[in-house]
Amino acid sequence: MSAQAAGGALLSATGICVDYEGKRAVDGFSLEIQRGGFVGVMGQPGCGKSTAALALLGLVRPPGRITAGRVLWQGRNLLEMDERQLAGIRGSQIGLVTQSPRSSLHPMLTVGAQLVRVYRAHTSASRREAREHALEMLRLVGIQEPARRLDAYVHELSTGMAQRVVIAMALCNQPALLVADEPTSGLDVTIQAQVLDRLWEAAGQLGSAVLLVTQDLGIVANYCDRVVVMDRGGVVEEQTVHGFFQAPRHQYSRRVVGLQTLVSASSPQPDAIRNAAGPEAEDVLVRVRGLRKVFRVPGRTEPLAAVDDIDLAISRGECVGLVGESGSGKTTAGRCILRLEDPDAGEILFAGKALHQMRPVELRAERARMQIVFQDPLDSMNPRWTVEQVIREPLDLATELSTGERRNRILELSRATGLPLDALERRPRELSAGLQQRVAVARAMVTRPDFVVLDEPTSALTPETTAELVGLLRDLRGRYGVAYLLISHDLTTIRDACDRVVVLYLGQVVEEGLTEQIFGAPRHPYTRALIAAHLSADPNSRRVDQTDRTGLLGEIVPVSESLMGCRLSPRCPHAVSRCRAETQSLEAQADGRRVRCWRALEGDLE
Amino acid sequence: MIWRYVIQRLLIAAVQLLALAVLVFFIIRLMPADPVARLVGFNASPEAYAQSQQALGLDRPLLLQFSDFLGLTAGQPGGGLLQGSLGESWESNEPVADELIRSLPVTLELVSLSLLVSLLLAIPIGMYAAARPGGAVDKGAYVWGMFAGSQPDYWWGLLFILVFAFTLGVAPAPLGRHDPLLLPPDPVTGLILVDSVLRGRWDVLVSAFGYLALPVITMVFTVSGAIIKMIRQNTVRALSSDYVMFARACGLPQRTVALYALRTALTPTLTLVAVFFSVLLSAAVTVERVFSLNGVGQYSVRAILNFDYPAIQGAVLAVAFVSLMVYLLVDILHAVLDPRSRSH
Ligand code: SF4
Repeated sequence: MSAQAAGGALLSATGICVDYEGKRAVDGFSLEIQRGGFVGVMGQPGCGKSTAALALLGLVRPPGRITAGRVLWQGRNLLEMDERQLAGIRGSQIGLVTQSPRSSLHPMLTVGAQLVRVYRAHTSASRREAREHALEMLRLVGIQEPARRLDAYVHELSTGMAQRVVIAMALCNQPALLVADEPTSGLDVTIQAQVLDRLWEAAGQLGSAVLLVTQDLGIVANYCDRVVVMDRGGVVEEQTVHGFFQAPRHQYSRRVVGLQTLVSASSPQPDAIRNAAGPEAEDVLVRVRGLRKVFRVPGRTEPLAAVDDIDLAISRGECVGLVGESGSGKTTAGRCILRLEDPDAGEILFAGKALHQMRPVELRAERARMQIVFQDPLDSMNPRWTVEQVIREPLDLATELSTGERRNRILELSRATGLPLDALERRPRELSAGLQQRVAVARAMVTRPDFVVLDEPTSALTPETTAELVGLLRDLRGRYGVAYLLISHDLTTIRDACDRVVVLYLGQVVEEGLTEQIFGAPRHPYTRALIAAHLSADPNSRRVDQTDRTGLLGEIVPVSESLMGCRLSPRCPHAVSRCRAETQSLEAQADGRRVRCWRALEGDLE
Repeated sequence: MIWRYVIQRLLIAAVQLLALAVLVFFIIRLMPADPVARLVGFNASPEAYAQSQQALGLDRPLLLQFSDFLGLTAGQPGGGLLQGSLGESWESNEPVADELIRSLPVTLELVSLSLLVSLLLAIPIGMYAAARPGGAVDKGAYVWGMFAGSQPDYWWGLLFILVFAFTLGVAPAPLGRHDPLLLPPDPVTGLILVDSVLRGRWDVLVSAFGYLALPVITMVFTVSGAIIKMIRQNTVRALSSDYVMFARACGLPQRTVALYALRTALTPTLTLVAVFFSVLLSAAVTVERVFSLNGVGQYSVRAILNFDYPAIQGAVLAVAFVSLMVYLLVDILHAVLDPRSRSH
């Protein structure tokens, strides 16, 4: 690297230790960062990667303390400076982007006031100049209507927007190094791609080096040029990105890189139903027609349709994925199909029975045959119960089995879901997130249902445990012939687990097709944007190397129902005037797919 | 927008006061007491008793009495609550409102001054304790809160009188609001400190400060421990927050970072001000007695002991009114300071 030859490392850290009340979180962390480099730091949760990244700025979350080490920055040790000297470097030469943008901004000051303060703390700019600069920064990180946003408070921003503001604050003094701690965790894929693209571009324009802490292989593959792997508080591997993906050395690296190839090699189901338009009449387990659910939003006169006229069919043993950004109505749809919420219109046939007309008593009898797994397993578990009691609950509620049979069922399911034997005696809270989710799956499966709705089951899991859960779901499907509706914003999970995919936008189905159709050749502009934003873990086709990265504009905005024309038109890069004039309907195509976009149907977009 | 909110809140407060008035009216009449006997004496003749009962209106049916109280009875002299009249005290035959106008300022002065001093002490101490947890100030504040708050206020009051007034002689004896030999200034607001300034009576001002010192210290003593504790907690939370850390990561000067924390730590404290105001109002009852201050606390005690129904009703409504206004004021300030509370 030429920069290295010219002036040595930009920052070099050696032997950093951080203690939390006697427990060592970071243990001898050492790292060099070169000018203009983009370094990814990976590792399991709890390996100390975030703590180490903060320590590079001499920061530590209370009650931790940095107990040893050196951070050389332009020949001086950061860790020996006093607060005043540090304040001169932080925010001006080294910027930080935090993990939780909404709580990182002051709740009682406007975004503009905070930006202005940060800029003026390091320059002699006047208030007016600083405000101009703030405006420019907001534009740089891709905030629409930046002038209006300057006067907004953080509670008026979406998480994605707050993250952009945080990035703008970190970059506003053109730091030579930007430390970003999982900057996109909790964002939708489309927004994640927008945010990372902007960060990548802005850093490139300003010549800043970036240290990016992440768990996401896709992010590493697409944006970083070096990878650092941490384990138990120290660096265990350091490589170029290509080297990392070709020949990962540490066992953690081998495991996560291996996961990718393993899952994608085995994805299609052997005897899956290969009909893009959904099952033939006789196979149908669940059929939904014209499902609709509206919510009244305070401050709006019209009610908002979270689910708007959805048709859906799922056959026995099939896994259908439901995808879309948050706010697309996918969770509401899943809950309505099980009648955990009452839809406002539409019919739901479950094994031929009209679920939508059932009274609560009849519904309870059906519960044994249809179950749900929630996003946060603990939310739905009584914290005082043991795991065994938790798993037994549906048996008690909806079946007439004898005590012995119940016990057998529980043992069978805990074996099938790979729970360790002693787990049954423990409380759910004592288990890891991965095991908790297995308990939730075991509970859902214990009545041997025909149909299970999985609502974002992997969102709290690491990439590793996610892959394991996907494997487990596939296993159970093979064994019990259960059908799934898998709701997720994680496209990797959907790609690996589903036979068919239904894409939702603002409560409407915009495209439906077989998994390989959707992922291989998406037609609808929204699907295209989703798939394009999906960061696959392949450093040879990096997103940042593609010349055309036009994605969607902005963020999901509820549109009023009376709006004529296509609901995506405010964000669609292909929108023309006809799109705004004509309401789009879902049309079937020759290969069985259904698409809601006239331009895609006419082949304009190929 | 803020005006709409204020008017709405004032209307709610009016309804609350009216409901309270109804409640108080009936509750005191449920008490097993005989105000007539109390007034005429137990040995009075039945005629004198009946006459007195008639004069008080207690011979009339309860609902009629209630309509008198509200001012709904036609041709009623002086009107009732709805006309803004609280009636006349049975004990002194003076309008209750006039008596309250004299006693309420005494209490308000005591309570507000105590609250002000408590906050001026508690805010820096609480914040300092939060900045250095486990330090000497933190530990001292903890012990203080445990110790001072665990003793009853009158006990502190008596102790202070003994030590400062009688043993050391640095404070005046507990004989009211100012030196009894000084002529008080003509009332403007009723608050002696304010009035003496307005009338240029500096001698009264100095004396009043001296006389208020011990009662205020007594109140501060009992309540400041709890305030310190809450300010400390709020500050600890603010200091360990993400935005303080991010502000440091942005290289903002320490002073600015401290102000960031202060702002979020103090706003929830504001809500507590209203709560502590009420706490101090009830503490005033005993403290006024110990220091012979003729405040509304003393007034209520006397009214209750004398079964003086109009006075009891008036005092309860007056205190409730003050509390409601303090809550309203605090909520408005909160809305101004915290943008989050404005959006809903
Ligand atoms: S109809 Fe027009 S606006 Fe809508 S998705 Fe198609 S091209 Fe975009």
